[in-house]
Amino acid sequence: MNSLPEFITVQNVQKFISNRMVLDIDELVVYQSECVVVHGPNGSGKSTLLKILAGLMTPDSGVATTNGVVRPWRQAIREFRANAVYLHQTPYLFDRSVEDNIAYGLRFRNRSRAVLFSEVQSAMEWAGLSHLAKRNARDLSGGEKQRVALTRARILEPKLLLLDEPTAAMDRKSRKQTFSLIRDLASGGNAVYIATHEAADLYQPDRVIQLDYGKLVT
Amino acid sequence: MDGLIGASAEALRLLFTGDREIWEIVAISFSVSFRAILYIVPLAILSAFALAYGNFPGRRVLITIVNALVALPAVVVGLLLYMLLSSSGPFGGWRLLFTQGAMIIGQMILAFPLLVAMIHLSLQGVDLSAWQTARTLGAGIFRAMLTIMREVRFGLIAAIVAGFGRVVSEVGCSIMVGGNILHHTRNIPTAIALETSKGEFEQGIALGAVLITLALALNFAVATVRGRDMARH
Repeated sequence: MNSLPEFITVQNVQKFISNRMVLDIDELVVYQSECVVVHGPNGSGKSTLLKILAGLMTPDSGVATTNGVVRPWRQAIREFRANAVYLHQTPYLFDRSVEDNIAYGLRFRNRSRAVLFSEVQSAMEWAGLSHLAKRNARDLSGGEKQRVALTRARILEPKLLLLDEPTAAMDRKSRKQTFSLIRDLASGGNAVYIATHEAADLYQPDRVIQLDYGKLVT
Repeated sequence: MDGLIGASAEALRLLFTGDREIWEIVAISFSVSFRAILYIVPLAILSAFALAYGNFPGRRVLITIVNALVALPAVVVGLLLYMLLSSSGPFGGWRLLFTQGAMIIGQMILAFPLLVAMIHLSLQGVDLSAWQTARTLGAGIFRAMLTIMREVRFGLIAAIVAGFGRVVSEVGCSIMVGGNILHHTRNIPTAIALETSKGEFEQGIALGAVLITLALALNFAVATVRGRDMARH
């Protein structure tokens, strides 16, 4: 039992893709401000779970409760989207500059140009990306791209950050930088879910959950 | 040969002395085709997005149908539209037959599958994660579409240019539903067909020169745009 306040609870969630069940979860509670590592072999449903929590995928059945209120999935998806940001294993960066990529989500929120500029500058400083501000994001290395994606997510201050294999196919230096940023994010008061094959203690999580054939085994 | 050279010289004279009739035909051609593309592009973009990112039954069948319709013969579209718009047809009351409006509708129908197929192809070149990224970062459906359109802007431009090229040079539909009426519905292809049938090649050559110049310019523009895109990635 976790002492943190509950944020999202999903129950009896099932997802089929091409008639194959890829996710079958009896209950999962997402607590506020917790860092969770999601372990499991390839195809165990880690990405599917994260995409459902991000509101990017709709389960075939299930019940969702957010902030203590049971909601129909359509409404829950809106809640998930408003509160969660999902980062792909290979982050997609738009064909524009690093600072434009980082500012992308902020443009949908009411910010004056000056405030937006200032927030983007400080976010880039946080990630050590200031010197790359004007570079096209497509021209960056894998590690730099992941940092841009993390910064782009962090600047939105989501209540739930969902990271899908954030350090896959990275060199040692980039992994170290990325771990450091993720730990910093996880200590910032938002819930962070990390699907990974890496050793869980690299992220110093509050708990580890294990998926196997779509089922939560721990 | 002398006849061809003489006709070509006369054609050039007509073009460069600003022959009113010729330039009016050019203007009608451009105006009709430009409006047809302008009106149909938004629907084509929406359809291409639905086919690329939508999750509904029959999607694959629709993609196959759209791809097959790219080769839709203009004269068949003209025939069907004629039957629909003629006074005995279901839309005869609209009194659109032999107007620029009818030509625009015909060209919209002709351009639609080509635009959808080409835009859909461009969208397929963008990973689904682009759409999901835009959505998870807070973009609504419309803003996410604008973002993806910016990502595929070169493919989008190429599709629009190709669509314009397709309709500005078609003769079958325009001649059937437009009627080739001077000062009203006579465009470049229908005028060329008429002048050639009368054995008066000068105007036909002059208009053909305009059409060829346009085709070359459009192809050059598309090649330049694609070249820039390829150089970028």
